[in-house]
Amino acid sequence: MRVTDKMNQAQIMNNIQKSRSELSTLQNQASTGKRITKPSDDPIGATKVLSNRGEIKNLEQFERGAQNARLFLETTESVLAQLSESIVRAKELALQAANDTNGGSPREMIGAEIEQINGAVMEMANRRIGERYLFAGHKTLTQPFTKDGQYSGDDGEMKIGTNKGHFIAMNLSGDKVFLGRGVGADGKIKPSGETPQSVDELQNYKISEAEREFKNDEQDESRIETRGPASVGRIQRLGKEDPVIGGEGVNIFNLMQGLEVALKANDKYGIQDALEPLDQALNQLNLARAEIGGRVNQLNASTDGNQKTIIDNKVNNSLVEDADLFKVMTDLNKSDTTLKATLETSGKLVNMSLLDFLR
Amino acid sequence: MAKIHGLLDLGKRGLMINQTALQTTSHNIANRGTEGFSRQRVDVQTSPPVWEGNHRIGTGAMAGGISRTNNPWLEKQIEREGSQLAFAEGRATGLQKIEGVFNEQTIKGLSGSISDFFNSFRELASNPESAVARTVVRDNSVAMINNFQSVDRQVDNLTKELNSQIEAGVGEINQITKEIAKLNEKILSVEITGTNANDERDRRDLLVKRLADKVDINYSEDTKTGTLNITAGKTGILVAGTSYEQLRTGRTADNKIQVLYELSDGGSVVDITDQFKRGGIGGAIDVRDNIVTDIKNHIEVLSYNISNEVNKAHMEGFDRNGQQGQMLFDIPQDGQFVIENLKLNKSIQDDASLIAAAAKPNSVGDNTTANVIHSLQFKPLMNDGQYTFDDFYNAKVGQIGTLTQRENSAFETQKNIVDQLKNTREGISGVNLDEEASKMIEFQKSFEASARIIKMADEMFDTVLSLKRM
Repeated sequence: MRVTDKMNQAQIMNNIQKSRSELSTLQNQASTGKRITKPSDDPIGATKVLSNRGEIKNLEQFERGAQNARLFLETTESVLAQLSESIVRAKELALQAANDTNGGSPREMIGAEIEQINGAVMEMANRRIGERYLFAGHKTLTQPFTKDGQYSGDDGEMKIGTNKGHFIAMNLSGDKVFLGRGVGADGKIKPSGETPQSVDELQNYKISEAEREFKNDEQDESRIETRGPASVGRIQRLGKEDPVIGGEGVNIFNLMQGLEVALKANDKYGIQDALEPLDQALNQLNLARAEIGGRVNQLNASTDGNQKTIIDNKVNNSLVEDADLFKVMTDLNKSDTTLKATLETSGKLVNMSLLDFLR
Repeated sequence: MAKIHGLLDLGKRGLMINQTALQTTSHNIANRGTEGFSRQRVDVQTSPPVWEGNHRIGTGAMAGGISRTNNPWLEKQIEREGSQLAFAEGRATGLQKIEGVFNEQTIKGLSGSISDFFNSFRELASNPESAVARTVVRDNSVAMINNFQSVDRQVDNLTKELNSQIEAGVGEINQITKEIAKLNEKILSVEITGTNANDERDRRDLLVKRLADKVDINYSEDTKTGTLNITAGKTGILVAGTSYEQLRTGRTADNKIQVLYELSDGGSVVDITDQFKRGGIGGAIDVRDNIVTDIKNHIEVLSYNISNEVNKAHMEGFDRNGQQGQMLFDIPQDGQFVIENLKLNKSIQDDASLIAAAAKPNSVGDNTTANVIHSLQFKPLMNDGQYTFDDFYNAKVGQIGTLTQRENSAFETQKNIVDQLKNTREGISGVNLDEEASKMIEFQKSFEASARIIKMADEMFDTVLSLKRM
């Protein structure tokens, strides 16, 4: 083969160029620690890393939301625990007072303690976390209960996303916990458990919510609450839609207020009438606490899942995009040697010519 | 009978021919580094013998001509493959630039800001009453818009860059064709006398290759005149004999440079942009009209769909003040959407409390609408329910990566082919100093010997003339 000077030159340049570009790629890998520094290095890997990174970001945000929801639920739980204690204490007192051996004045004294308890219950019903009321439904900035137990919140549930398409409600509305509305078969339509996730679903949700609200209002209108020593804690209903008696929840304020009045009025039968509803109230609270416990469990389960996915994704990303530093260093050494050899031999080759020997 | 005069003549011819050979060797050495040069050789042949009685006696050597060592078929191959190489290079560099815009390995790109946008609605869903969460939503929305616009701008800049590349390329083509036409004229006038226009042909071969690096050309040599006719694309006749035609550039309505060809002087002008499938200009046109346009559309569709879907949900909702939600993104309703004009609704920009989280008026703790909006991120809302926003974007990044990878390796392969061909060409036409040095010694020795012949003839004359005095 005829070899000419230009061929030699081109070949030398090519070889040096090749070694240098190899070295620069390896150097880049060594200094960034990444095998993939641009999508074309590994298109499939890069896409995977990209979507994993997006997922990690989303999961971390979901986790922040879950954290927030957990705090809200746990605060609610501790308030309800306190409330249960108050009701238990009220029941103890009521039992004491229901006994005829206790005279008039102790009943009045017991009444005074119940009055204190009632104040505490009212405070609990209006408990806040930050600026938000725990038991106001969606109207978190409005004080849910007035002094006489009127509810001005709603029955809205605040749903917190814990993962793709997965939501957990973080609040219990006050009318359910304190007024017993929607607990039993009182004909009240409960909020739907479904969380709308698209525009269509949102539109349907708004329609069904409006319908629900209208029906519930209609029901409320046909309900007359009477209060008095003879009907402590009882809610009388008029109208056709009267549900089966016994399935309803308890209005804790009315019950406690009735008890207080009965105690102060020294009304033994009134006090005795309050005993059973007090048990029902406790059951109602336990039901609520069970619900919260269930939600916290769900939250914990999804947090565990999310944390694991985050770690899995990070490990996966590292496997895909991180450079094997040991291999990179070995390759760097190899390329470095190659370049040196190329340079050395080239230096000798380029200088050689017949003219050097014609002296 | 041979004559001493004949010897003198023979010696003279020997001197001349070796001098010519030495000159050619020196020409080769001097042009060792000249691009496109083919080494030249003097074709030495015997000069016609003379009759001496019954014998024919040789009269030495003469130069038959000077020819270049060149393989035209190889030159054609280099031209063809070089044109492909320039095309691949044009595509590869274009794609590398596009890849840089979408490289989220090093920069925080669109994918990140889309996630941030939806995550800010997640935060708002956790704190639907919060003014801070709303401000974050507003700022992240603006950041996402800015990111979309920045990507769009970078893609536009790429189009501009490719445009100027095409324009400059057309300018170079015109220079080259002009020179080729001149060389045609020169070659025609030289070769009509029967001698080879070696250096002009080398130069013309080189220019043809340079031309092929720009666009796809077809050429053929007129065997009678030695002139070269060149056509660019399918119909753009650039050089015909000694005349040439200049290409022109124009702009399309959407601001793209097009290549124009005038059919006859002052006649109708034809757009031949689409005829270029090779060469650097072909590559630039391909990247500009196929890849960049496609990506711009893709980003536009994505930004429009995100804005539109979020708007739809947002307008179903109720803001912090209990009012019906407005458009979050200000997008035209008549379908004339361009990313450049995408912006946040002015009133929301001024008052973040107008951002809607609730599905009912006057319930500040209601986060239903915020939940719907952040759920949109996982809904297949692109391409008739095939892709989520993330998938739609990530798939494009993957596609750009794959394209770039493929084009890079196509470029490498093509470069190897061309290097190999050029190597072969150098093997045939290139100058080897060792070879030239040995030729130099050879011709120098012959020159010396020829001089000895003349000296010897001179001595012979002396011998003959001295006969009379004896």
